[in-house]
Amino acid sequence: MSAANPGARHFPLLVGMGALSAFFAGIEILVRIDVINRFIVPMPSQVIASFERVIVEEDVVARFWLTFQEAFIAGAMIAIVGISLGILLYRVEILRRATETWVAAMASAPTVLIYPLFLVIFGRSMWTIVMMGFVAGLPPVILKTIEGLAGTRRVLIEVGRSFNLTARQIFTKIMLPSALPTIFVGVRLGLIFTLINVVGVEFLINFGGLGQLINDLAERYDLAGTYASIAFVILVSVFFFVVTEWVEKCLVPER
Amino acid sequence: MKGGAAPAISAAEVRRLRIVIVLVVLAAWELVARSGLLYRDVVPALPTIARALYALLAGGEFYWHLGVTAGEVAAGMTIGGIGGLAVGLLLGANRFLSEAFERFLYYLGPTPKIIFFPIMIMWFGVGVSSKIAMGALSCFFPVALSTAAGMRQIDRVLIRVGHSFRANAWQMATKVYLPAMRHPVINGVRLGLGVAIIGTLLAETKLSNRGVGFLVIQAYSLFDMPRMYAMLIVLFVVAIGVNALVGRLGGLDAIKRP
Amino acid sequence: MAIAPEPAGRPDTAPAAQAPLLVVEDIVKRFATPDGELIAVDHVSFDVKPGEFVGVIGPSGCGKSTLFNIIGGLLDDYEGTVRVAGERVRGPHPAIGMIFQEESTFPWRSVIDNVAFPLEIAGMGRRERHERARHFVKLVGLDGFERRYPAQLSGGMRQRVSMARTLASEPKILLMDEPFASLDEQTRLLLGDKVLQIQQQLAQTTLLITHNITEAVQLADRILVMTYRPGRIKRVVDIALPRPRSSQIVSSEAFGRHVAQIWSDLREEASLGLQDEDSAYGRERRA
Repeated sequence: MSAANPGARHFPLLVGMGALSAFFAGIEILVRIDVINRFIVPMPSQVIASFERVIVEEDVVARFWLTFQEAFIAGAMIAIVGISLGILLYRVEILRRATETWVAAMASAPTVLIYPLFLVIFGRSMWTIVMMGFVAGLPPVILKTIEGLAGTRRVLIEVGRSFNLTARQIFTKIMLPSALPTIFVGVRLGLIFTLINVVGVEFLINFGGLGQLINDLAERYDLAGTYASIAFVILVSVFFFVVTEWVEKCLVPER
Repeated sequence: MKGGAAPAISAAEVRRLRIVIVLVVLAAWELVARSGLLYRDVVPALPTIARALYALLAGGEFYWHLGVTAGEVAAGMTIGGIGGLAVGLLLGANRFLSEAFERFLYYLGPTPKIIFFPIMIMWFGVGVSSKIAMGALSCFFPVALSTAAGMRQIDRVLIRVGHSFRANAWQMATKVYLPAMRHPVINGVRLGLGVAIIGTLLAETKLSNRGVGFLVIQAYSLFDMPRMYAMLIVLFVVAIGVNALVGRLGGLDAIKRP
Repeated sequence: MAIAPEPAGRPDTAPAAQAPLLVVEDIVKRFATPDGELIAVDHVSFDVKPGEFVGVIGPSGCGKSTLFNIIGGLLDDYEGTVRVAGERVRGPHPAIGMIFQEESTFPWRSVIDNVAFPLEIAGMGRRERHERARHFVKLVGLDGFERRYPAQLSGGMRQRVSMARTLASEPKILLMDEPFASLDEQTRLLLGDKVLQIQQQLAQTTLLITHNITEAVQLADRILVMTYRPGRIKRVVDIALPRPRSSQIVSSEAFGRHVAQIWSDLREEASLGLQDEDSAYGRERRA
């Protein structure tokens, strides 16, 4: 049933936002009356006030650009390599049967822990971070590509046969488009892991973009600044996921 | 889906290919190790890694640290898992709460949790507690989101069947809701376990004096590569094994009773 | 096959003399929609006597399923009253057993545990409820499949499991909402036979809601034909076909006459429904 009136539809959203504001207001009051230690939790108003300082003094734009580049390169790599490997594994069945469980195991293994290895190979550089993002995001893309191709409805393939399509045409005109929504789910999942690892490794090895910013401010014991930079990373990732959702909607309109 | 004309592939052939792949990878590794293309010790020779693995598993120190990490993960899972389950049930049962608050979880879920580590240190200190907090924070989101989604996905007719036989609230919960949503919940727990392990270990590599994460980063800073590889191998085996075990316990691979 | 002129094995030969088991009085159900109020069920009244098999037939969207949910006690926001054995229905009543249109077996329970479900809810011990359940599994002809899981059965078998499960609660009146809607025609006819046989055996009072004319005529003693939106009772048709019946009756001349008569009543209503549907889709596309 399409919404009866638009006011009622936005009501829950308003309540959610209101509750969030009330939560922060509550924290503000509790910190001000010293129920919460102000050296552990800064006042939300301080955090908001430090936003400008963090953005101007800490060169957030340049940091964001660096993190974005790292995530973008790693994201492009997982999409290209992952989809190709997925197609390869789908087409060569024996390869798929031999390695699909390994790929799935890789997806559930704590691969991020091998960052010291890349640290040794690439040093504290952008490429360590890109490679970590790549390693972490690759398995879901491969798995979902296989799943999408294998899930092509039989009848659609038979429709293709009835029109006398070649095997290649069946693959490019029928199987690939029909697998696209699933492949996209895999790419989105992979991008999530990539971004987590990019920012996480930046934080861990104290290099580069936004992750390092948090580390820096925390080490300087700039309380409000630390919270502000964390809030900034959250905003960035929210923005990132909203954009991928939107792109997905454009590319896969039938959903 | 199998290609129509392709001949059936036997399990033995698959096994043979797997062995070949493993051998090729190991041989390539060994070749790189001996060629000296990369810095010495970045790719140590296989026997060196094997010796380090043996030394690691034969010594008692590693197990103590593994125990610390396992304890942290278990505590984090318990706190975050129960919290996630409770919140997920609330959101799944109440449409209004879900529309008002679920979007926050949905967007916070994929943000890298490790960035909260400085805050966790401020709140809970540099010891074990902040690692537990990281584990709990990590696993809370996937458990909550998949529980909420699982509850909404329950086939409505099954709930009507329960009501039509006049099941009370407790019976509805234990005989209809929980069994009907156990797959998504177990999946959420599995996902949660994975990220809780990662969150805990990363926190240990960042700032700690105990736990496997600490050992790994210590080996790195001493440039003891073989020992680092040995620990990564053990960690991967343990993590994959635990994950498979949770899946098995949840009966995900069978249509049989739980 | 011997066709008895008098209904055999049923509690009495003159049902009219008996107090009705189910009394539905002046039911009105309104829904709020974006286009204003929709009256789904409009002043519907009828009753069902003990041992009687009543069919309710109407086009899609005539409020049949709403009526089903109201009588079953799963909907409480309506006007009018429903009484079972003189008792007002407020919430699911133990005397009413519902069989749903959708696939409704519990996939995590074996056949025997599915059928034993209502007994388990009532607090019966494991051994006893399994014994009772086994009887009903046999009644629907699924003996030998007790340990199977729904995923291992065909659609028709699963629907028989649902039927056995509802029968195991030993309802005074069986309420079925298009129980065979998801099955193919042949399975549907054969399951109809099963229903006839069980109804005969248990002297089961039954209310069947359906849009399938053949099914209604094959099974019912009396058919209520409903109008499309608002759902009213347009006509009551007594089915003067002898009992016991079987699916073979579909080829008889009397059967054809009943089907033709009901179709002429229904045709107009169904085409109204079709028009509505077309314009609804058109509206969506333009929006």
